[in-house]
Amino acid sequence: MTLDASISSQAAKPAPRRRWRIASWAPLIVLVLLCGLITLINPNFLTFGNMVRISQAAMIPLVLGLGATFIILMGSIDLSVEGGLTLSAVILSMLVLNGANSNTFGLFGVLIVLLVGAGVGFANGVIHVRLKIPSFMVTLGMWFVGVGAANALLGGMAIRINDPMIRGLAIERFLGFPWGVWLALFCLLVALVIQNYTRLGRYIYALGGGEDLAALSGIPVGRVRILTFTLAGVFYAVGGVLAAAQLGLGNAQIGNGRLFTTVTAVVVGGTALSGGQGSVLQTLVGVLIVVVLSNGMVLMGVPPSVQIGVQGLMIIAAVALSIDRKRMRIVK
Amino acid sequence: MGNKPISGALGKPIKRRDILKGAGLIGMAGVFPAILTRSAFAADKPTVVNSIRSLSNPYHATWNKGGAAFAKSVGADYVTLVTEGNSEKGIADIKAILAKTGGNAVINVDPNDSPDARAIVEAAKAAGAYVVTQWNKPADLHPWDFDPNYVAHISFSGVPYGKAMAETLIKKMGGKGGIVALGGIESNVPAIERKKGLMEALAANPDVKLLDYQVANWSATEALDKTNAWLTQFGDQITGIWAANDDMALAAVEALRADGRAGKVPVTGVDGIQLAVEAIQKGELAGTVAWDPYWQGGMGLAIGYAAKTGVFDPAEEPKDHREFYGKGVIITEENADTYYAENIAAEPKMDWNDIWGRVSGQIQYD
Repeated sequence: MTLDASISSQAAKPAPRRRWRIASWAPLIVLVLLCGLITLINPNFLTFGNMVRISQAAMIPLVLGLGATFIILMGSIDLSVEGGLTLSAVILSMLVLNGANSNTFGLFGVLIVLLVGAGVGFANGVIHVRLKIPSFMVTLGMWFVGVGAANALLGGMAIRINDPMIRGLAIERFLGFPWGVWLALFCLLVALVIQNYTRLGRYIYALGGGEDLAALSGIPVGRVRILTFTLAGVFYAVGGVLAAAQLGLGNAQIGNGRLFTTVTAVVVGGTALSGGQGSVLQTLVGVLIVVVLSNGMVLMGVPPSVQIGVQGLMIIAAVALSIDRKRMRIVK
Repeated sequence: MGNKPISGALGKPIKRRDILKGAGLIGMAGVFPAILTRSAFAADKPTVVNSIRSLSNPYHATWNKGGAAFAKSVGADYVTLVTEGNSEKGIADIKAILAKTGGNAVINVDPNDSPDARAIVEAAKAAGAYVVTQWNKPADLHPWDFDPNYVAHISFSGVPYGKAMAETLIKKMGGKGGIVALGGIESNVPAIERKKGLMEALAANPDVKLLDYQVANWSATEALDKTNAWLTQFGDQITGIWAANDDMALAAVEALRADGRAGKVPVTGVDGIQLAVEAIQKGELAGTVAWDPYWQGGMGLAIGYAAKTGVFDPAEEPKDHREFYGKGVIITEENADTYYAENIAAEPKMDWNDIWGRVSGQIQYD
């Protein structure tokens, strides 16, 4: 009886069809305006060289953001970004040709690192679902576990990576862009396919839209959650590989500050923290806004002491423009 | 799945949970004597304690190694306390160790923030322990006001070394060109001092132009992004990069490498971490300054230990032994190989009795 009532009340509401809302395009408009403004002040912004540099700065936040997008779409949060990334980067630096030991696992080492990332994510998911601990707390703990493990492995030191393939991700280029950028774009493609063409992708949206309804309609909620956290862990591991490639080393501080950029990019892109709304393409736009802004502030000569404040204002403005107030009843 | 009750001595059923609790208690009781005997054995010699920010950076990790080496040399118990950037935790941990050792301790501390030093010194004085502080303390807190317990304060002036690195850079650039500079957290004393040194060197070399100064908060990631933006903005105008620490300098080298210019544009750092010395050997970094954290971690304890064991009386030492600047080692391509062989490839050899060997003047507060 209650079931009938809830279904009919759902049906009574107008179906949330894709409306042509200005709000959903707001992040893209912000990005274009931002690019225009920076170009006016410093025309160097639009040069090919700078596009390459922006893509280099965007590749890691993008890959991390893709993982985080799925988690946030599901209505959860993942704070273990830095833990997964740091642990992956450190393990990678110990497995491939490096300055500290005689390992030369190469590509196999990368695979191991992806498995480590998946393991961290899987642990997040299992603890979250089976022990019914909120994702916020589980992943907060896993953040410190990851960084702590990386710390224990290195004892505070840094390991230089000499593997030409790994370094090549940052240095060697294809069509003018470093291979790491292509790898990040490939990740975007994979994420798009998962989001749009797999059952997992549709289940993630269903969970974010309303978990009790999803459970009632037979979606294996627990399994979807665990799988999504595992998937996100793999994306963070890719981020770790790219970070290690870019700096040419692995150390326990390599992840510092990445969580903030990641969550900012996802939210600025218009993905709602409440879950159910957003997409990985919006995260791409969000990442570009954040990266273009920080690149642009240097180009425009904004004083260093003001930059962080401008970034904060930008976040509030972008979110204010992109949220759909009509569908919100309660703001927490 | 009910709990299977087992009858206890009083006839009350004992649940499995109670057995676990009991086992836990017995376990803890077993550990307790171990703690007691451990401190009882070392009671004759003071426990030596290093309190530092974290063990996740090469600088403090090396600091810790130096402390362990000194402790081994005198056969004292060695304890490392880590603040993790939390002043409250730092002070509370020190108070706990003072209570545990009954004041029979020597503490060498890199206070998380300047005001912490006062709380730490007062606690040590009250407990009868001896303390040496490094880097951070309030300007009006002096060792001679806490005789004999506050033995000394050691710091390094950032001005001459920031200047020395700028001069190394300018020399490498042939005395002219444009440089960009990466600074540390704006409110940090070392960041302010090193920048001041840079500015002094620039004032003396009018042919070198400072294209831009950006704050990258000591972080490699931020330094990489800032340098990338500069490469767009200034391109070939950049003929040198000055960085306030090695992490940022190495990130700048990586940004240059992605641009195909590593080794062509000289870069300098500060701190003397291993990777920086290796980069100098490869010709990618022009210079750095080693503070020798191994010396800081060991010698800070050695000075306090000598005072505690009566080798000298702090009250009778001159002021420039109580508040002094230590010596940094300037590393360039000329001495990088020797420095690497003596300090990095091998465990550094230190004479822990040469306690005033690196005094280079009394600290000036203005």
